[in-house]
Amino acid sequence: MTSPAEDAIVLEDVTFAYNGEPVIENVAIRVRRGERLGILGPNGGGKSTLLRIILGDLAPHAGTVRVLGRPPAAARRTGKIGYLPQRVTAELSFPLDVRRVVEQGVAARVPPWRPLGEQKHAAARALDLVGMAHLADRPIGRLSGGQLQRVLIARSVAAGPEVLLLDEPTVGIDVAGQQQFGEMLETLRREMGLTVVIVSHDLATIAASSDRVACLRRTLHFHDTPNGLTPAVLAEVFSHDIAMIDAHKDCPPTTDPGTGPETGRAESSDTTPGCGCGGTR
Amino acid sequence: MKTIEYLFTPELAPMFWPGVIAAVVIAVLCAPLSPLVVLKKLSFVGQGVSHAAFGGVGLTLFGASVLGIGGWNPLMQACVAVFAVAAGLWIAVLSRRRGTDTAIGIVLAVCMAVGFVFYRLAADRLAREGLPPPPGIEDVLFGSVLGVGPGGAIVTTAAAAAVLVLLWWIRRPLLTWAFDESTAGSFGVEGERMCAALLGMLSIAVVATMQVAGVVLATALLVLPGAIGLRLGQNMRTVAVASLAAAIAGVLGGLVISFELGVQAGPSIVLTLAALFALARAIPRPV
Repeated sequence: MTSPAEDAIVLEDVTFAYNGEPVIENVAIRVRRGERLGILGPNGGGKSTLLRIILGDLAPHAGTVRVLGRPPAAARRTGKIGYLPQRVTAELSFPLDVRRVVEQGVAARVPPWRPLGEQKHAAARALDLVGMAHLADRPIGRLSGGQLQRVLIARSVAAGPEVLLLDEPTVGIDVAGQQQFGEMLETLRREMGLTVVIVSHDLATIAASSDRVACLRRTLHFHDTPNGLTPAVLAEVFSHDIAMIDAHKDCPPTTDPGTGPETGRAESSDTTPGCGCGGTR
Repeated sequence: MKTIEYLFTPELAPMFWPGVIAAVVIAVLCAPLSPLVVLKKLSFVGQGVSHAAFGGVGLTLFGASVLGIGGWNPLMQACVAVFAVAAGLWIAVLSRRRGTDTAIGIVLAVCMAVGFVFYRLAADRLAREGLPPPPGIEDVLFGSVLGVGPGGAIVTTAAAAAVLVLLWWIRRPLLTWAFDESTAGSFGVEGERMCAALLGMLSIAVVATMQVAGVVLATALLVLPGAIGLRLGQNMRTVAVASLAAAIAGVLGGLVISFELGVQAGPSIVLTLAALFALARAIPRPV
C-alpha cells in the first residue's frame, strides 16, 4: 500500500457511461509516482475513455479522480499532465520545423513580451531525450509516423510534466520501433521521474513500456508485471482466444494456453503470427 | 495617368486618399491572419461572416433611419462589426451542433435575407423623410474606395491596430492551439478563448475589408495573401512576410487598375491577388 503522497493518480470507484451505456464500471487505480502503468484492452473496451477521465476531458458519473493530489482539470491547468491522443490531430501542413513544434510545449506560458530563452533549452533537451535532436530543423510534415510520435512526446516533455498519458502511441509503428519506444519511455522515467500511463490494445507495446499492467474491459484486472498476463486472462479481456508471441525474440516459443506467462504480443487466434512459426492457441 | 491625377490633384486627393490609406491598412491587417485562415481551412467561415455582416449593414441602416440618421458613418461601421462578431460566434456555436458547412449555410442565408429586407426598408424610409441615402447596394456588395471618408480611415486604422496588438499578444498560445487543438489544453492554452479570439479578429478584419472590397469579395483578402505566403515561405516568419508583401502589392495594384479602368476596387484587388497567386504557383517550390 502506498501513501497518498506517492500516488500520482488515484481513481476510486469510477463509473462512466455514454448515453446510458456503461463503458467503465467501478474502476479503482492507484499509480505511483515514477511508475509506468500499461492499460491493455480491446477496441471499445473503455481505454481511451479512462484516459480522458484522468486527463479531465470527461467527468465520471460516479467515483473520484485525483491527479497529483488535485482534480484532473486543475492538474492539467498547471501543465503537469502531458497527453498524446490516439490519432495525431496536429495540422502537419503548418510551416513549422521540429524545433518550433517542441518549443510550443513551453512557449504558450511565456509572457508575450519575454523572448524564449530557457524554454528553447528545455525544448532542445526534450528533443535529445527522445532521440530526435538530429531532426530539429526538419519540417514537421516530413517525418515518419514513429518520428512524429517522438516529436509530439518531446513537446509534452518540454513542458515539464509529471504525468504522461499516451493513447495507443505505437499504432502504425513496427515491432522494432515499439521496442525503441519502450526504451525511450524508460529513459524519460530515469531522467525526469515521469509517471506514464499508456493504453493500447497491443500487448507488445504494453510489454515493452510498462512496469505494471491493467486489463480493461469495462472493469479492471491488475497484474504486477506484463509477465503476469496469461493467455487465459487475455482471452477473457479480448473475448476470444489469444496467441502470445515473444516480441523480443525472432521466433515465438510455444506453450499451452494458461500454462505460464510470457512477455509478448497478443494476437487473435484467427491471425497468423508474424514470423510464420506459429503461436500458441 | 488617372491614378496620379486622383491622388495628387488638390481637389480630388481628399476624396481618394482615405480609401487608399484604409486599403493599405486592411492589407497589413489581413496579411498575418491570412495564413491561419488558409491553414485552418477557415475561408468559408470568413465568407459566412462577411455575408452575415451584410445583415448588420441592413439592420444598422434601418435602425439609423428610425433615429432619423441617414448616409453612412464610422459609428454605423462599428455596429456592423459588432454584428459580424456576433454572427461569427453564432457560426461557432452552430458548428458544434450541426457541422460547419450547415452552420455557415444557415447564418449566411438568414443574414443576407435580413440585410436585403432591412436595407430596402431603410432606403425607403430615408427617401420618404428626405434624409441622405444609404451607400448604393453595389458599393456594399463590391466595395468602393470613394465611400471611405477620413473618419472611416481612422476607425479602420484603430481597429486594425487593436487586432494586430491582440494577435501579437496571443501569438504563442494561438499558434499552439491552431497547430493542435486537441492537446493545446495540456500546454496551458484555453482552446475556447483562442477560437473566440480568432473569430473576433477575423470578423473585424472582414468588416474592415468590406468597405474597400465589398461583402462578396472581402474574404479574398483573408485567403489569397496567405495562400501566396504559404507557397513562397519556408516557416511562419517568411510566410507572414510573403503574405504581407502580397497583400500590399495586391491592394495597391488593384487600386491602380480600379482608377485607370474605372472599375470597382474590390474585383480589381481580387483579380490582382489572383494573378499574384498564379505567379507564385509558377515559381518552383524551394526543396
